[in-house]
Amino acid sequence: MNFGSIPLTYYLVLSAALFTMGALGVLIRRNALIIFMSVELMLNAANLAFVAFARQYGVFTGQLFVFFVMTVAAAEVAVGLALIVAIFRTKHSIDVDQMSSLKG
Amino acid sequence: MTTILPILPELLLLALGILILTLDPFLKKDEARRPFLGWFTVASLLAALTVSLLLARPAGAALAFGGMIRFDWLGFLFKMFFLFAAAVTALLFMDADKLNRRAEAYFLLVAAALGMCLMASAADLVMLYLAIETTSIPLYILAGFLKTDDKSTESGFKYMLFGALTSAVLLYGFSLVYGFTGKTNLYELGLHFSNFNIVAIGVTFLILAGLAFKVSLFPFHFWAPDVYEGAPTPVAGFLSTASKAAGFAVLIRLFTAVFPVLNADWSLILAILATLTMTVGNLIALTQKSVKRMLAYSSIAHAGYAMIGVVAFSELGMASVVFYLIAYALTNLLAFGIVGIVGRAAGSDEFSAYNGLSRRSAGLGLAALVAFLSLAGMPPFVGFVSKFFVFAAAVQSGWVWLAIVGVLNSIVGLYYYLNVLKAVYLYRMENEDEDRHPVPVSRPAAIALVILVAGILLIGTLFGPWFGLATRAAAALF
Amino acid sequence: MDLTLILFIILAVTAIATALGLLISRNAVYAALFLVMNFACVAIFYLLLGAPFIAMAQVTVYAGAIMVLFLFVIMLLGAEKLPKGDVLPVQRPLAIGAAVILLAEAVILLVQRFQSTAMLQAPGTVENSMDSLREMSGLLFTEYLLPFEVTSILLLVAMVGAIVLTKQEKGTRG
Repeated sequence: MNFGSIPLTYYLVLSAALFTMGALGVLIRRNALIIFMSVELMLNAANLAFVAFARQYGVFTGQLFVFFVMTVAAAEVAVGLALIVAIFRTKHSIDVDQMSSLKG
Repeated sequence: MTTILPILPELLLLALGILILTLDPFLKKDEARRPFLGWFTVASLLAALTVSLLLARPAGAALAFGGMIRFDWLGFLFKMFFLFAAAVTALLFMDADKLNRRAEAYFLLVAAALGMCLMASAADLVMLYLAIETTSIPLYILAGFLKTDDKSTESGFKYMLFGALTSAVLLYGFSLVYGFTGKTNLYELGLHFSNFNIVAIGVTFLILAGLAFKVSLFPFHFWAPDVYEGAPTPVAGFLSTASKAAGFAVLIRLFTAVFPVLNADWSLILAILATLTMTVGNLIALTQKSVKRMLAYSSIAHAGYAMIGVVAFSELGMASVVFYLIAYALTNLLAFGIVGIVGRAAGSDEFSAYNGLSRRSAGLGLAALVAFLSLAGMPPFVGFVSKFFVFAAAVQSGWVWLAIVGVLNSIVGLYYYLNVLKAVYLYRMENEDEDRHPVPVSRPAAIALVILVAGILLIGTLFGPWFGLATRAAAALF
Repeated sequence: MDLTLILFIILAVTAIATALGLLISRNAVYAALFLVMNFACVAIFYLLLGAPFIAMAQVTVYAGAIMVLFLFVIMLLGAEKLPKGDVLPVQRPLAIGAAVILLAEAVILLVQRFQSTAMLQAPGTVENSMDSLREMSGLLFTEYLLPFEVTSILLLVAMVGAIVLTKQEKGTRG
């Protein structure tokens, strides 16, 4: 069985679209958890571009990069969610508009 | 043995971090012996500094570990500086409630220092990304360490959210750089980036945005005041100095290795960014009521001054950036150290908490004099020499207007730094009974302050050999 | 129109739709599930791009670990229902406008730059993926040894951090 091929540009446009939507999510949502999920979507878009480029060049560098990004994302999510839990305990809210005790 | 030399400081830090975590349970039962943790961390960091200085000096500049890091003087100088800054911060930790008895705090400090060391020498996009995250994640935790204090958790959370967002932007930039060149090594990228085009500009914008966040350049500075104000004071000091220096180390390595051809077009953009960063930082600092928050805005302004050296883009320019960062870090660590001590005694960071400080503790008053005059750029302190070199580099490269903007900004800065000193020396406490309100300075904090004051005076007067080191570091870039 | 392209289009539409779902969902649990779906689509793209190992890692790490953690925290905090006005009213048109411009710019730039008609062949057979896995792990433990070890430090830091931040201290509640 043989598959056809897809232009690299398609992948890049898709990746750009996902990245933009992630950025949009960060800008328009107020719930800390949703904002954090949108950041994960942005990371994923970057990963997709990496793997597509790795395929184009026929080297593993891009795939290895994605592997490391996943590890970092796991660590970041663990710490980020711990911070969200901690902030929920002190403020009883994870709405970013409520976070205004630091103002000059 | 020679193969591990390039990462000797990192290995020593790793060993130290693991030792701290291992020692912790043995000290759990005995409250009286908890301060041992702090002393142990400080002594080990200084020992690591000495060992690295003796054994791990780079001979020339060479790529190591499959091209992941570059073993050169720039990285080495910054690494030694990070070890020193971590040791001083550990001393200040020992004076802060809730941090001083927690092994985890010292461990996270050491881990962040490890990440910074890797940032300073990373020569590959993979390594760079990991190093930035290894630095940031422990700092997110440290900023939110006081989890029952809603300011601290909010500071940690904001720092984490903006940090994660900008590292996603940075990563997207990296992926496109990889796409255009097929390479991830910075020094190979430089060769491929020579065919300048419109896409390269877009990519550079993404990467610049990511790094501008780390060093709090305008318009990515908005997080800094909130994070510094809410974080425990010694952590804020570490964030505003070592973390910023690490960001600049990456910035100047990237700009000299990867984007040298872009330089002509970028210099103007960077010059405008530097101007805005200085001006915005200084003007908002003028209006602050809290000294801690004022220092946060002033640290934004200082990132702008350091940027002037990057704009100059000469060997002198880069050397002046390195020198500026070290000078600024010494001074700002001292300033945050004082804020920590006063904040603990007075329970407030407002300007009024500093009234009559010189009468309450003469030594602390003197330290404040050194710190704020050096931040303002007064001779004979190091702040003057470092500003002088940065402006000189700008003039040498033909950026006279930028140097003038820098000087004007320094004058604005002088005003609000002197405001603090006015409170310290001229104002009295409400009932004029300063004798009955001494400010206690614990032994570790006193040691830290003495070291920093000595450093500011020493480098400020005998700057020749130190600037020689900075020049040597800059020479590794070109 | 060949099969791979049809598959690509279906997946791409699903990925975009689920990302939109994340953006507008009023329930945090639904948002998380939309994101899981999105990650699954991306995992299939990885398979199409000849990266089976990354595809598996995507499923286990992202969908399996990260999103489960998200769902767990949503349940723990009881934060699944979001208030009506969760989307910022003033910022929304601005943000959408900026995003559309950004996207258009990115697409134009990328298409311009990569008109090189690079076609990415989907992998034909399964056997060569074992070879690629072997080669990749070889690289991981030679050239990429230092980053690999650094990730272990990072994970240790994350573990310590998660415990420090969430463990209740003795004698204090909240």
